[in-house]
Amino acid sequence: MPSAPIWTQRSDSARPVALSRRHLLGIGLGAGALFVLEACGTGGADPSFGGGGGAGTITWAWQLPTTWDPVTSSAGSDVQMLALTYDALTALDDSGNAVGWLAEKWAYNDKGDQVTFTLRKGLTFSDGSALDAAAVAKSIDRGRTQTGSLIAPQMTDITKVTADGDLDVVVQLSGTNYQYPLLFAGKTGMVVNPKAFEKDADALATKPAGSGPFSLTSYVQNDHAELKKNPHFHLADQIEVGSFKLYPQPDPTTAVASATSGQYNIVRIPASDIKAAKAAGLEVQVLDSTFVSVLDVNASMAPFDKPAVVEAMKYGIDRETIKKVSNFGVGDVCYQPFPKGYVGYNEELENLYSYDPAKAKKILADAGLSGGVKGTFTVPAPAAPAVEQIQAQLKAIGIDLTIETIPASTWTQVVYLNHSKALGYDGFAGRESPVQAFQVLFSSTGLMNPARQDDESLQAQIAKVKATPTDDPSYPALLQAATKTAVTTYPNTFLYEAPFVIARRKRVTALKQHPSLRRFEGISA
Amino acid sequence: MRLLRNLVRIPAARVALGILAVVALLAVLGGQLAPYDPLHQFGDVLAGPSGHHLLGTDYVGRDVLSRLLAGTRLSVVGALEAVLIGLVLGVPTGLASVWAGRLGEWLALRASETLMILPFTVFAIAVAGTLGNGLHQAMGAVGVLTSPVFFRITRAVALGLRRTQYVESAELMGASRLWVLRTHVWSKVVPNIAVASAQAMGSALLVVAALAFLGLGIIPPTPTWGGMLSADLGFLQQQAWAPLFPGVLMMLTVGSLNILADCIREASTGEVRRRRGLAARALPGRPRAPFGLLGGADPAPDRDEEAGRAAA
Repeated sequence: MPSAPIWTQRSDSARPVALSRRHLLGIGLGAGALFVLEACGTGGADPSFGGGGGAGTITWAWQLPTTWDPVTSSAGSDVQMLALTYDALTALDDSGNAVGWLAEKWAYNDKGDQVTFTLRKGLTFSDGSALDAAAVAKSIDRGRTQTGSLIAPQMTDITKVTADGDLDVVVQLSGTNYQYPLLFAGKTGMVVNPKAFEKDADALATKPAGSGPFSLTSYVQNDHAELKKNPHFHLADQIEVGSFKLYPQPDPTTAVASATSGQYNIVRIPASDIKAAKAAGLEVQVLDSTFVSVLDVNASMAPFDKPAVVEAMKYGIDRETIKKVSNFGVGDVCYQPFPKGYVGYNEELENLYSYDPAKAKKILADAGLSGGVKGTFTVPAPAAPAVEQIQAQLKAIGIDLTIETIPASTWTQVVYLNHSKALGYDGFAGRESPVQAFQVLFSSTGLMNPARQDDESLQAQIAKVKATPTDDPSYPALLQAATKTAVTTYPNTFLYEAPFVIARRKRVTALKQHPSLRRFEGISA
Repeated sequence: MRLLRNLVRIPAARVALGILAVVALLAVLGGQLAPYDPLHQFGDVLAGPSGHHLLGTDYVGRDVLSRLLAGTRLSVVGALEAVLIGLVLGVPTGLASVWAGRLGEWLALRASETLMILPFTVFAIAVAGTLGNGLHQAMGAVGVLTSPVFFRITRAVALGLRRTQYVESAELMGASRLWVLRTHVWSKVVPNIAVASAQAMGSALLVVAALAFLGLGIIPPTPTWGGMLSADLGFLQQQAWAPLFPGVLMMLTVGSLNILADCIREASTGEVRRRRGLAARALPGRPRAPFGLLGGADPAPDRDEEAGRAAA
């Protein structure tokens, strides 16, 4: 059949040009081939892409924060991104001890109810204005008093914050609390430029105003953030890249390909992709983290209102198999909220709820529940493989759970604020201060304590921890005793520690092992 | 019956019907045919095909073949549910809109147009978010959004027939509306509905799979084709071939439904008869009655005309 001509007009001629369908097909195929070649390319001219960011750009597919304001940030993991633009008063060392950051030192009074932080000299915010004691005092005051502040519950015992000269910030407490140097290593201690929040505090959600290693130049919510090196950062000479591009974590199916193609030069990958990333020529790092996978149990809702069900569940979960299958063997099984090596980690609890299905069945039988227990297991969509494993393991001991998926975006509201779910699968990102971790997990105001249950013996133990200086020889034992009380009293079921796995292009230098924050001093790309 | 006879004369239809018969069999007996419990987790995770597991095992060690077989039922039932809801809502309203007066017609058309502008997946996600995440909620939403297709096809056919002489004659002679619908209209509507149903069934299967892919509709560990496909994509580095199994099943089923729809259209318009030389034996110069959306001839004009005369 002859191809039907399609007539068009040359711009410089009155004579029409005939384009047959075959010609059009050829043009289409050519255009398609160009698109394919472009898609398979390495990003071409953009110096931040390809070749590992030769122009000194870190392009990290990691996560975007819920907000750029540390006071209203609603996710514990936000601290990682906020630390790009903000500095905290203190920092944590590899063992979780407080060390100086903006404050070079601190001192408590004899009673332990007043702490004075002494700032480094010559600090400035990213806009060049002075970061002095007055600015720090205002920033802390805002965090503890602003309506809607999500860090205020951490600072309820602060009665007054004042500046003493340019460098000393005096924090007055209602009682003894030696946790503040630890607490101020996270979002609670991040210093926000008063100029910014006095002018428009709401604008901080998209325009951070801190003194961190980078300052934000462009931000598209849920898409990406572009930052440039902050020359006013107090360790600016150690920042070896000119800019930082932050993206959300890519789909696991494309994570390795996105790094291989040069779209990103550092990417967070699932443990299942470690082998593939290595095979693709990427450097893989398994970084320590404080993230612990946990089941949030609402002990005020059936069937977990029966203590025997909770106890049987703790023994009925084969954490080793879950770690091996769902996390490809990466991480460590744990029964407590702190990772091994952390001061709060209690070695006595190392095999506390070792897998023992026979014991789990006996606990249920002794409680008259051997006929079977039914319940609902709520998880963020899509359900993780571990969820299906847990369901199958609990079914084997007589706890029959129906999986219910809810959108991840509604998780905090439904599970933590409405307390409307009996059992949830989540993770605890850790906190800078162990007391803060206890508050989140085990206090009557704790977000991850769905039943909001309280325990006097634990609160008494926590009070002892707060009243003990962190360098006191008795501090570790007191803290570990609190961990034991919490883990054996509360229904939260800890499963395994999940390290942070990244794949990076070879031109990006290795990230330092650091359990709490990812730091970029000395990193080149 | 003649439609069916014409249909089975088409080779492509026979192949499509054969594949769909197998799928139907799996939908009914898949769970029993599965070699293992589709929920049982073996120790061997992400294993390749072997004598023990013909299609290998998945990310928690379940037998893939067993899950495919057992997953057929919910995948097909979900699509059927959506199409049935669409039929129940669309066909009666499509017929009624022709005889319901101007107000009823206006209301039905506006409702249909409103539903047509809603996107399937987004609407299903919204319904699942509001009424809870479940197969029936998601399929209810898909069914409601499918109904305008049936409404418009039914209405178009009925509208053409409403003005035919034999329908008008029947009405003038006092035939009841129900009798007219049953005798003159229904037989013309059915082939069109059959074609649309087959196509809608294919689309619904893909929507069920797409929703399962997004974690909506069917909750794990219940096996479905879409759910398996979604989960397999997370382990492409380990089993690049795994998505092929549910993908091929979906492709075969949806392809067969589309071929069947095309063949029904062909069979209902008499193309089969003409192709096979039967048309040569038809009476020359026979008038072709106006008929439906399919653009073909009235499949049984003589019977209807005779019925019209009888009613008169």
